Amino acid sequence: MARRERVASGRRAFTQLARPREASPSGALSAGVASQATLQFESAFDLAPELWLALQWPAASAADPESLAALARIAAGFSSRVSLEPPDGILLEVRGSLRLFGGLEALCATLLARVQAAGHTVHWSLAPTPRAALALARTGRTSIVTTHERLVGTLAGLPLSTLRWDARILARLESSGVREIGAALRLPRAGFTRRFGHAMLADLDRLVGRQSEPRRAYVPRERFRVRHEPTYELTYHDTLLRHLAPLLDALEEFLRVRQSAIEVLVLRLAHRERAERGIPPCTQLVLRLSSADFLAVRFALLLAEQLARIELPAPVVRFDLYSGVLRPQVGASEGLWRPGEHGGALTRESPALVERLRARLGASAVYGLHVVDEHRPEGAWRVTEPVLPTAQRAPCARLAQARRPLWLLREPECLLRGPQDLQLLEGPERIESGWWDGHDVARDYYIARDAEGAELWIYRERLAPHAWYLHGLFG
Amino acid sequence: MRKPGLELLLEHPAIWRGRSVARTATHSTGFSPLDDALPGQGWPLAGLTEILAPRHGAGELRLLIPLLRAFAHATPARWVAWVAPPFEPYAPALAEADVSPERQLVVRTTQPLWVLEQLLDSGACAAALAWLGRTPAAANDLRRLQWATQRQSTPAFLFRPACAAAQASPAELRIAFEPRVGGARLRLLKSRGGARMPFDVQWESGHGTS
Repeated sequence: MARRERVASGRRAFTQLARPREASPSGALSAGVASQATLQFESAFDLAPELWLALQWPAASAADPESLAALARIAAGFSSRVSLEPPDGILLEVRGSLRLFGGLEALCATLLARVQAAGHTVHWSLAPTPRAALALARTGRTSIVTTHERLVGTLAGLPLSTLRWDARILARLESSGVREIGAALRLPRAGFTRRFGHAMLADLDRLVGRQSEPRRAYVPRERFRVRHEPTYELTYHDTLLRHLAPLLDALEEFLRVRQSAIEVLVLRLAHRERAERGIPPCTQLVLRLSSADFLAVRFALLLAEQLARIELPAPVVRFDLYSGVLRPQVGASEGLWRPGEHGGALTRESPALVERLRARLGASAVYGLHVVDEHRPEGAWRVTEPVLPTAQRAPCARLAQARRPLWLLREPECLLRGPQDLQLLEGPERIESGWWDGHDVARDYYIARDAEGAELWIYRERLAPHAWYLHGLFG
Repeated sequence: MRKPGLELLLEHPAIWRGRSVARTATHSTGFSPLDDALPGQGWPLAGLTEILAPRHGAGELRLLIPLLRAFAHATPARWVAWVAPPFEPYAPALAEADVSPERQLVVRTTQPLWVLEQLLDSGACAAALAWLGRTPAAANDLRRLQWATQRQSTPAFLFRPACAAAQASPAELRIAFEPRVGGARLRLLKSRGGARMPFDVQWESGHGTS
């Protein structure tokens, strides 16, 4: 009974709202709803194929991208066609949602209540074209125009500044006495195009619905998120992994139907509430993959490695699994040969290997090498991300220099006895560089041989106290 | 025309004889005395090789440079992994020796055996070099690695202290290394049909070989 009443009142409200006479910005609609029902529900559908609701931040309070996105997420609950109008506007096509929400009034009321509850103050308006809805909302008053017939009449009184055209164009229009949209619409089209270009005319056409305006849809960022509370506390890694397996399967399914993959996966293990002091409330494992993936097996393997590294401080009562941003899934075909065999590429094996090692040993424990053009020996190389080069790179032309040792000591080792036990073979090679960045070196390098026949790379500081250091081995 | 029964039997790949040529694939070491001494005239490409040197940096790495150079030019690109090296592999020297530094993967770890198995099983490595340091290496663990090298045909080179010579090892090849002036004295402690007497190798002099 109550339901039927609600539907009936919603229908009445819609027809009331749709009344053309009241649908003027100066009319009673800014205050709410007029009283007479003159338009039938079905015929309202036929009149305007689209109905756009614009949400517009007041000019005084600037909207940041965060709140724009927050509002867009709310709006996405009311329409599948949500579009952003940065920096401070949001558009949603509501005609498709009217029946679901029980009419226009109900929809607007619910939406605005949600927006207010989220702490946003916005102006809103309804119009058959997105641009008109925005222009109406920018006046700061609520206008509801549901038919094309009323549109031009309603827009006519608005100042041109609501279109947010370029200031120079507005100034030129104003100098010829055109200050309102109505005046601009009355200008001869050919002359308007000649003076202001096709783009401006197309803008006006879209405003009044003479041209359609396809809008880029807002796509909410999706994440995978699941919580699992086992019936008993989990203490051991393998039981934990067993409970995790169905969640990872769900994740794989989630990603598979979306043709997506993820690079980051977070597992948060919540511990017992009344745990002793000094125990953190939860343990968090962050999985970073070197290439986006969606396979549960791979996540399970890497999580198992990470779990093996840590010791749980307390039993686990609950776990949350959530993914990072979804990335498009890039398919790859399986090779016929074994990896690396017959010239097959190693597209997946190498990242998988690096990940597995890093999951257990930490990110900094696995690295690649890179040559840097630099005279200081310690600066002539650096650690890089381990990414296997796909193409054979031509060897770069290098400075001809003296021999370099295969092994370098991270910190030069002071030779307390000096070079007296050593036989100097080559040198000195003077390296004096880096005075500009505070790490200046002034050294004479020698290649020396020790009593056991090993070749060493040693240097003598050019500054007092002229200490000798071992810097490398020709191993 | 049929071969006598014994010869047929001896052709079975599981049987090897003292001086017969090893049946594993090999790659030239780049040092002719070493090539001559080794069964198959080169480093085994599937198997564990132990190099026992009295200390780090005495020149034992130079033995492998020609092999690493060959891997650096092979396609497809694969890693040469350095597991727990005692010092930093110096990229300019590698580049100078024509061993592309971009293909070297350094892994710092206290669990070299686990890492080594992962590397060998991945199929993404052309070769793995590992310094066991003080990590105890039981014969069982080494046998596991020896199998891993054969599964994916990836050679692994273990650098161990000279005192490890007394321990038994399932490695394919064990070489004792002693530095000499401008070269080294090598002795094959264990090989499948290699030379028994110690012999000397000389480093090529000048650039590109350090």
